[in-house]
Amino acid sequence: MIQIANARKQFGNVTAVDGVSFVAKDGAITGLLGPNGAGKTTTLRMLYAVMKPDSGDVHVDNVDAVASPQDAQARLGVLPDGFGLYPRLTAREHLDYFGALQGIESDELAKRTEELLDLLDMRAIADRRTGGFSHGERTKVALARALVHDPQNVLLDEPTNGLDVMSTRAVRSIVRRLREQGRCVLFSSHVMQEVSALCDSIIVIASGRVVAQGTPDELRQQTGYQNLEDAFVALTGLDRGEHE
Amino acid sequence: MNAMRTARQTLIVCRKELRDSLRDRRALWSILFSVVIGPVLIGFMMNKLADRQREADAVRVPIVGMHRAPALVNWLNQQAGVHVVEGPVEAEKAVREQREAVVVIVPDDFAERFRSSRPAPLQLVADSSRNDVRPSVQRVQFLLQQYAAEISSLRLIMRGVSPAAMRPLAIEEIEVSTAQQRAAQILTFIPMFIMVAGFVGGMQIATDSTAGERERGSLEPLLVNPAPRVAFVAGKWMAATLAAVVSVCLTTVLCAQLTRLLRLEDMGIRLEIGPQHVGPILLAVAPMCLFTAALQGAVATLARSFKEAQTYMGVLILGPMLPGVLSSLYPIGNAAWTYAIPMLGPYVLLTDVLGGRVPGATPFLTSAGTCLLASAILIQITTRLFKSEHIIFGR
Repeated sequence: MIQIANARKQFGNVTAVDGVSFVAKDGAITGLLGPNGAGKTTTLRMLYAVMKPDSGDVHVDNVDAVASPQDAQARLGVLPDGFGLYPRLTAREHLDYFGALQGIESDELAKRTEELLDLLDMRAIADRRTGGFSHGERTKVALARALVHDPQNVLLDEPTNGLDVMSTRAVRSIVRRLREQGRCVLFSSHVMQEVSALCDSIIVIASGRVVAQGTPDELRQQTGYQNLEDAFVALTGLDRGEHE
Repeated sequence: MNAMRTARQTLIVCRKELRDSLRDRRALWSILFSVVIGPVLIGFMMNKLADRQREADAVRVPIVGMHRAPALVNWLNQQAGVHVVEGPVEAEKAVREQREAVVVIVPDDFAERFRSSRPAPLQLVADSSRNDVRPSVQRVQFLLQQYAAEISSLRLIMRGVSPAAMRPLAIEEIEVSTAQQRAAQILTFIPMFIMVAGFVGGMQIATDSTAGERERGSLEPLLVNPAPRVAFVAGKWMAATLAAVVSVCLTTVLCAQLTRLLRLEDMGIRLEIGPQHVGPILLAVAPMCLFTAALQGAVATLARSFKEAQTYMGVLILGPMLPGVLSSLYPIGNAAWTYAIPMLGPYVLLTDVLGGRVPGATPFLTSAGTCLLASAILIQITTRLFKSEHIIFGR
């Protein structure tokens, strides 16, 4: 479970995140929805403890991520914005590296790697260097790397961005499976359809603030629009020209 | 428990960086090239020099008009390594066209003036602009002066004067440096090459794993792993240091092979890098590798991009070159304080070791101590940089 309360983050004069609060529950997929530049990535970075909020609290499974970032990180699997793979290492070596850093014993790590290679259908590419991988293949490596230590909480920053249909479906099915396993999945996107297709609960964020949250149905009710996309546009103020 | 975990994570990072860089073929080749090119080039030049020295020792003296000075020809032929031949007809032309290094001409009036104890003329035809034959010309000049000195002594004795009266000064040169020390003076480039090898060897990992890691976007996912930042910094530093030490070993072996191949003894130099030197060389340079790798890591982390980091490296490389360059301008010596300066200490230690003077434990410890202290401070700085959001996410 992930909790964030009144988190603020400022870069110079720009307030990127302005008092964001929400809870992402176990056994559910929570969508963080907002236009580009709304503060999604900054919010996620505070959640996975590579950024410290200027004020506010972040808890992962009730561990204070501000005070003990490493303890929080051990409970998190993260797919950051841009995958950041090592082109000269193979897919398997990526799992080895991160698994070892997470402190997994080598027997356990080998077993876990095999499971993930099957789960993500990446046997054929397991021992190839990632330098020549397609976008979909790189997504799989980054996802497998995020899951290698079997984390209870999974944070995915725009995981389906730029993916083709088949790869998008593969990612969705993994995300659903993670929910079935009782994990907490937090998923950011700027695409309404993506979020509505997957999420149990949606947090709409605009200009660094949470402007609405609830199930897709609740969002429709709040805004009075039947079409979720219209609801999204209304909530984020895109129609008022506040964003480009 | 925590320290153990941090140490293990440091090793994991180090292993990964080494593996990653070993696969960077292009970078490996460029390191190899820059480590090898210097010693090979200088070796080639030294070999040429040695050849010339050998040529000068065995000198051929063409003389025009040999029959006019039979005593001189006899005397010359008795000197070791001297071979007198009949000179070419057009002596000046032969020298100008570089067919002969030097030609001695005995003029018509030589015999007559010699007999009457008046200065007998001899002409020495040589081209002073040619560096390659200078040893030969000097040798011939020296031989002729020696002959003249012997004749003048004989003439004085005949007149009842002691030849000692003609020598108010008896100058004797006393060379204090050992042959190996002299060799080290001449071969100041070897310590420099070893140090540059240490610097260049670690450079690739130090920049690629910091500025490069950030530019690839892999720094952020890496830092999501639950490890203290110092583990990442120290792991990368260790990997860079190890690469630097390997590169030092490579250059040392190369220089050792070169000194063997060059037959430096022909030049009056006895320089030998044997297995007994490898230990002291590594003791002198390994602490410097720790320091340069830490410095490179800190500077590359501060750089805004990989390219910028590489530019800074081009400036920093002057560090290991400076002592070598300075020492050729004025002697640095080996005063106690020199060992306490990070780049200078290892250099002075190397010249000591290669000069056949093994310094005591104190210079080694002083040099290693300052290098370690400086490294520790730099690692601290880099770790702090790795905690800064400005640095992690670029500026």
